[in-house]
Amino acid sequence: MTPRRCVLVGGGVAAASAAAHLRKRGFDGDMVLVGEEAAAPYERPPLSKEFLTGPPDLVRPLAPDWYAANGVELRLGVRAVDLDVAGRSVGLSTEERLGYDDLVLATGARPRRLPGFDGEGVHYLRTAADAGRLRAELATARRIAVLGAGFIGCEVAASAIALGTRVTLFEPEPAPLARVLGPAIGAVLMDIHRERDVEIRAGEYVTAVERGGHGFVLTTSRGDRVESDLVVVGVGSVPNVELGQDAGLAVANGGIAVDEYGRTSAPHVYAAGDVAAQHHPGYGTRIRVEHHDTAVRQGANVAANLTGEVTPFEEAHWFWSDQYEHSLQSTGRMGDFGSVVLRGSMAERSFSAFSLVDGRIQGVISLNRPGDVLAVRRMLFTPHEVTAAQLADESLPLKRLMPRTKAAPRAGAR
Amino acid sequence: MSGAVTGQWQEAMQLDELWEGEMAGVEVGGEKVLLMNVGGDVRAYRNRCPHQAWALDEGDFDGETLTCARHLWVFDARNGTGVNPDNCRLTSFPCKVDEDGTIRVDVG
Repeated sequence: MTPRRCVLVGGGVAAASAAAHLRKRGFDGDMVLVGEEAAAPYERPPLSKEFLTGPPDLVRPLAPDWYAANGVELRLGVRAVDLDVAGRSVGLSTEERLGYDDLVLATGARPRRLPGFDGEGVHYLRTAADAGRLRAELATARRIAVLGAGFIGCEVAASAIALGTRVTLFEPEPAPLARVLGPAIGAVLMDIHRERDVEIRAGEYVTAVERGGHGFVLTTSRGDRVESDLVVVGVGSVPNVELGQDAGLAVANGGIAVDEYGRTSAPHVYAAGDVAAQHHPGYGTRIRVEHHDTAVRQGANVAANLTGEVTPFEEAHWFWSDQYEHSLQSTGRMGDFGSVVLRGSMAERSFSAFSLVDGRIQGVISLNRPGDVLAVRRMLFTPHEVTAAQLADESLPLKRLMPRTKAAPRAGAR
Repeated sequence: MSGAVTGQWQEAMQLDELWEGEMAGVEVGGEKVLLMNVGGDVRAYRNRCPHQAWALDEGDFDGETLTCARHLWVFDARNGTGVNPDNCRLTSFPCKVDEDGTIRVDVG
């Protein structure tokens, strides 16, 4: 009898996590991981941070020898070009066809490109190869322009400053990460960058770019001209839905639509990570999350569902962003930024901002209070009732607000 | 380098300051050490997450597992093995409790 074969399309952490958990759960069929990049799966978050400022080492979820040792065939530098869900096969850029019993789409996303911004000296950041090129050029750049103050833009700005490079950061919105953080926390982040001598041009964008002798001259929406040695564009990302969409899979929220078990609209085809727009039982709606942690957890969840443990994905999404010495984290959904409850101090840059609706925490954004996010993450989908006064009271540990499911193991061990 | 008993038992803390289900970051012989009281037994680990070396005492300990607050890596507090991801482990130090309740750690 031919062994069952699972094909993982995508070379990121969602695919790696699915592979690891499939083996851990006793899946003993064939496994093939098809990844477009030359590198075996690695973590992307450090690429805009430690990878640029420190040794260019990749943080790997699985040791390079894990794949061979666990019978997972790596097809790297290979692209999946078409998918036949009726015939259950996937075509590769090498002109081979791989049959599958089950397929996991974990094709991720790619940077959104700005028309007219490409070629030498213009950087987009997604892959280790992208980061390697940026790192090499940052070594000699005196000043750089960063277009877009989202996660990538803010983190690259912080990394460039750490390397002694002058940075101009353009953001059409009034503050960095304004859509994610709201105006008040965005303003705190803006102050942090300005104190480090990042020239933030908020409410301003670049309208034209000319190449000069050894760099660029950018014309801004206010008519200013700004020189830079290189340009980094961080204006969001586009999920890689084409393979699935062309095969007729249903799409939603810009991604491949999956139910709470990771199943797409085609039998035996699952999706996980940035590309997956998943129904979330906790919200009763479909959401697509482009964060590392969710990719890892969705990969693990798909592995569970593939091996017969039918489990809905109900986890809270969570992200972090490290900029300078600051740790920014968030979980849940913030809703109306105008009515958040604050714990700690914005002036001291140690605070958590909670979204509280009818006594239940919906989400939290923390600066330098990662423990608060951890506590909220645990209680987000568990019924609880708290007041704004309790949340604001720093003497009251958040853990104590969580409903007790078992007796506290506090009996002394003396 | 770690894990081996060198016989240099250095004082780290008093047991009555570390309740069951609690953890504490201390410094022993120039080494940052995480002490954990796991169901009455004391464990000592290097206070650095194997992922990116963040201090673990900022994380969450539920009495059984330890979650690093930075990137949510989870470890079994009893033996330091990784739960999620499961291909890593904490660096442990030999640890004992004297009759007078002094927790001693051998950091080598």
